[in-house]
Amino acid sequence: MSQTPENGAILEWPAKYNEIPKEVFEREDLWPLELKNIFYGDEWHPIVHQSEIPNIGDYKAAELGEMPIFAVRGQDNKIRIFQNTCTHRGTTLVTESLGNKTEFECPYHRWLFSPEGDLVGCPNSREFTPGFDKKDFSLPTFRTEEFCGLYFITMSDTVAPLKEYLGENFYEPLSRILGGDGRLKFVGYQKVHYDCNWKAYCDNDGYHAPLLHLAFKMLNWQGGKGVQNVSENGHLSFESELKIPDDITALKDASILDFKGTTTSTGSIVQMQFPLTVYSKHMDMLNIRYAFPKGPKGIEVHYAYFTHEDDDDEMIAHRIRQSSNLLGPCGLISMEDASIFSRIDKGNKTPGMAIFQKGVKDEYQLELKVGQNDESGNLPRWEHYRKLMGFERAKS
Amino acid sequence: MSEIEPNVIFSIENLNRDYICALDKLDMNKWLACFNKQGTYTLISNENESNGFPIAFMLDDKYERLQDRVTQVTVIQEDSTEHYQTRHMTQLTSIVDLGNNQYQANYNFSIFYTQNLIEQSEILCVGRYEDIVLVENGASFIQRKAVIDTNVLPRYIAYPV
Repeated sequence: MSQTPENGAILEWPAKYNEIPKEVFEREDLWPLELKNIFYGDEWHPIVHQSEIPNIGDYKAAELGEMPIFAVRGQDNKIRIFQNTCTHRGTTLVTESLGNKTEFECPYHRWLFSPEGDLVGCPNSREFTPGFDKKDFSLPTFRTEEFCGLYFITMSDTVAPLKEYLGENFYEPLSRILGGDGRLKFVGYQKVHYDCNWKAYCDNDGYHAPLLHLAFKMLNWQGGKGVQNVSENGHLSFESELKIPDDITALKDASILDFKGTTTSTGSIVQMQFPLTVYSKHMDMLNIRYAFPKGPKGIEVHYAYFTHEDDDDEMIAHRIRQSSNLLGPCGLISMEDASIFSRIDKGNKTPGMAIFQKGVKDEYQLELKVGQNDESGNLPRWEHYRKLMGFERAKS
Repeated sequence: MSEIEPNVIFSIENLNRDYICALDKLDMNKWLACFNKQGTYTLISNENESNGFPIAFMLDDKYERLQDRVTQVTVIQEDSTEHYQTRHMTQLTSIVDLGNNQYQANYNFSIFYTQNLIEQSEILCVGRYEDIVLVENGASFIQRKAVIDTNVLPRYIAYPV
């Protein structure tokens, strides 16, 4: 396998914008460059919603690329996100996915950190290097921004501020998924490992939904009017009306599909933020899908579900019931996606190109204006990926 | 468990055996037959359960939902599932008499799966059943709640466990 002098992998990209080399899903040598240029590059990554860690000292562990991190709510009620590593020898400080601590102690040499990230204790420090100062050993943190209670981080000093990075076509619908004001209540996760490359996981499109998901057809579930907005830096945002038929004969208990709605609701919003986060609101389900690639093969997805602080008991029960049965790795309207992730990954071990058709008007032009059910909305994100990876496009 | 009549233990064990055999044979109607009309089924991660988070993987909180689970598995998603063979291993750990012919029974379980045409067997999940069983003319579930230690599923789950 040839390498460029900058340790970058080489992959020739086809001239046609609607063709994606299948090897992009399979080549293990791409992963180090993806880490450097994407996950540790000029992108924002959502890590935690404030409602997941509502109390002082609550923490949540996560990953950025391969880097262990954790978010914690400090004594001052502020949320901070740190690298999960003792500033002494590098031991992880947090070993559980969720918890509450008043201080974070490394068990190795008992260095002690406050939830604000300050080093507050380190035994035998009189015998340390002459210039040792605890202030120089705070937990490393990240450039952080908050939007409707959702905290994003980046390792980039140069990427645009979060709202500019997302664009209004993305952050406005996102604010509605996040309850309009971010006053959400967290009600639980569904976590699953999918046996595919991370790019296969997030390559779902606007074309498949009424075709793959037989539940839509069986339930006589008509897709309403809608839009798909895409941005040059690879974010997609779908929004559509949802018309649930009055008489659903396929199910004995059709109440699972009730759309009670709120003032901030339209029927269905699905958003994919580059590189791999999905946000969705179908009917009354509020969902963030945090995703963590496990190297070049495999991805762990944490579906996080929310209710709103203003919900009455009936609405809370409805959201929980709907979320637990319709979405996620066992859901009535989403399990098939999971099946496709692993099948597309297996199938892409064959040579040649994955080819996008629906909505493509000119193979040699990148089109940012796409229809609601077009798969061509994924092509700007592939172009963004190609550029970030430095792959040359072949001449037409 | 010593206070529980042997015939009650026998009935509860028979019910559990019917349940796991139904799933290992993917006979969803026999799975449904293990529940009575009050029956509920829940599949939830231990992480959610122990933190008081109510979100489940499957939440069939009334009999009609159990019937719809059968439809989901056998009709709606039948053709898109990568089917797999399960083997349920269970161990009864306690029975408590709740009165009115109702018993709280707990089992530990481990479930192996072998995806069709791929001949490696792996662990699907391990956990515990928290059951409420009605023992009247045999036994039936009022509640079967599967709480899984496997907080991150190794794949999507198409059938109840």
